[in-house]
Amino acid sequence: MEISVDRANEVLIAKVEGRIDGANAREFEDALNGAIGEDDSKVLLDFSTLSYISSAGLRVILLIARLLQKRNAAFALCSLSDPIREVFEISGFDKIISIHDSQAEAVDKIGR
Amino acid sequence: MTQTPYKILVVDDEPDLEHLMRQRMRRDVRSGTYTLYFAQNGVEALERLNEVPDIDMVLSDINMPRMDGLTLLAQIPNIAPDIRAVVVSAYGDMKNIRTAMNRGAFDFITKPIDFQDLRVTIERTLKNMEQWREALESRDKLVRLQNELNVASKMQQSILPTEFPESDLCEIYANMEPAREVGGDFFDVFGLPGGKIALAIADVSDKGVPAALFMMSSRTLLKGSAIGAIEPGAVLKEVNDLLTEDNEAAMFVTTFYAVYNPHTGQVDYANGGHNPPLVVHSDGSSTLLPGTDGMALGVFPGVGFGQSAVVLSPGDLLLLYTDGVTEAMNADGEEFGMDRLQAVFANAPPDSPEAANKAVFKAVHEFAGETPQSDDITCVTVLQRQP
Repeated sequence: MEISVDRANEVLIAKVEGRIDGANAREFEDALNGAIGEDDSKVLLDFSTLSYISSAGLRVILLIARLLQKRNAAFALCSLSDPIREVFEISGFDKIISIHDSQAEAVDKIGR
Repeated sequence: MTQTPYKILVVDDEPDLEHLMRQRMRRDVRSGTYTLYFAQNGVEALERLNEVPDIDMVLSDINMPRMDGLTLLAQIPNIAPDIRAVVVSAYGDMKNIRTAMNRGAFDFITKPIDFQDLRVTIERTLKNMEQWREALESRDKLVRLQNELNVASKMQQSILPTEFPESDLCEIYANMEPAREVGGDFFDVFGLPGGKIALAIADVSDKGVPAALFMMSSRTLLKGSAIGAIEPGAVLKEVNDLLTEDNEAAMFVTTFYAVYNPHTGQVDYANGGHNPPLVVHSDGSSTLLPGTDGMALGVFPGVGFGQSAVVLSPGDLLLLYTDGVTEAMNADGEEFGMDRLQAVFANAPPDSPEAANKAVFKAVHEFAGETPQSDDITCVTVLQRQP
């Protein structure tokens, strides 16, 4: 699992590559917490190169969503592959986290 | 350094050494850092070790009457296996030094004794011994934790039902294979008023001890709610509201809960973010149960849970499973997936729930091959019997 960070229109974009499972969920959590600065009020996770996410990974997404919600910061996901979108749909997480088809669309939606 | 003085046994046949050591080390002795014991040969040293069982370190000469230092070295482990020994040898006596090291000496110093060097050697030796003791303690702790995990695992397995309601109308079987000692999956099958049967399968986010604790409370809440309410959607709503209170750890549990009426074959169900169960027909074809617009429990307070119903025809199997089945991976990183699950039944629909579960587990294991199981695998299967 690799995370690369970029910023566009005041949106912090974290691109996640590889897989997130029980073995590296903690590492994923730490990496995201490290990447998201105190002043970031718009956070987007780009999942275009994410190959797999387990429930342990979903839990980290939930933790981050809650953290950002407390700070009134915007949070969204984009570019989910079909199997990963299905994971979010089955678990019902798509109801509480906004999911966009592309990075451009997401940045346009939550950016300045 | 610890509060109790380290006990050092000095073994040398030169009577002057005791006097010299006491003088050079007097500050360390007075400050309570070290306590010194003395012996004049190996035999006396062994006696001293027997009298004072918690000696930490032996500093021994090699050439001594009655029993020399090399023989003493070989004897020490029989009395005190964790003791650290340092030998004092004549300068350049490499043969004896090698023998001493091979017999387990930790270090050596040479005569005439350089007390500055001796002090450093003693400190280093005792530090090493401390680390060794800490490592031993950690190992013991680990063994204790492992034992506790084994107990937890047995407790967890023991709350899962192993006997299921059976009649002319239906047959039920359920089992789980945990990936680790304690897991996050659970299922439940129990009788409700009016001859109905409650069916539940659930999967807690993550695995291990935190998941197991969350699983235990989820399971208890679910059973309590199931007995109090009739509608599956209302049951999940109540459990969700209770789980979202004080859920700082953001754990969640995907839960499928159903009330099954064996007399009519009707299954009223609510799906809280769980994999859609499968209805396998007697011709081997199968359909997925449509969702009920729910989400995993523990995530969001106050949300409602929809419900739906399906009627099992005689010969139909209802298969509840966790993602340990569909997300099992093989060596190429492929998932077992829904298609393979449906294919298990395509040609040979099993005639009993137990056979169905066995077929699923077998297919998953064959698919995964040598790839280690990373998630709990659970199946609950209901057969609506032919009249």
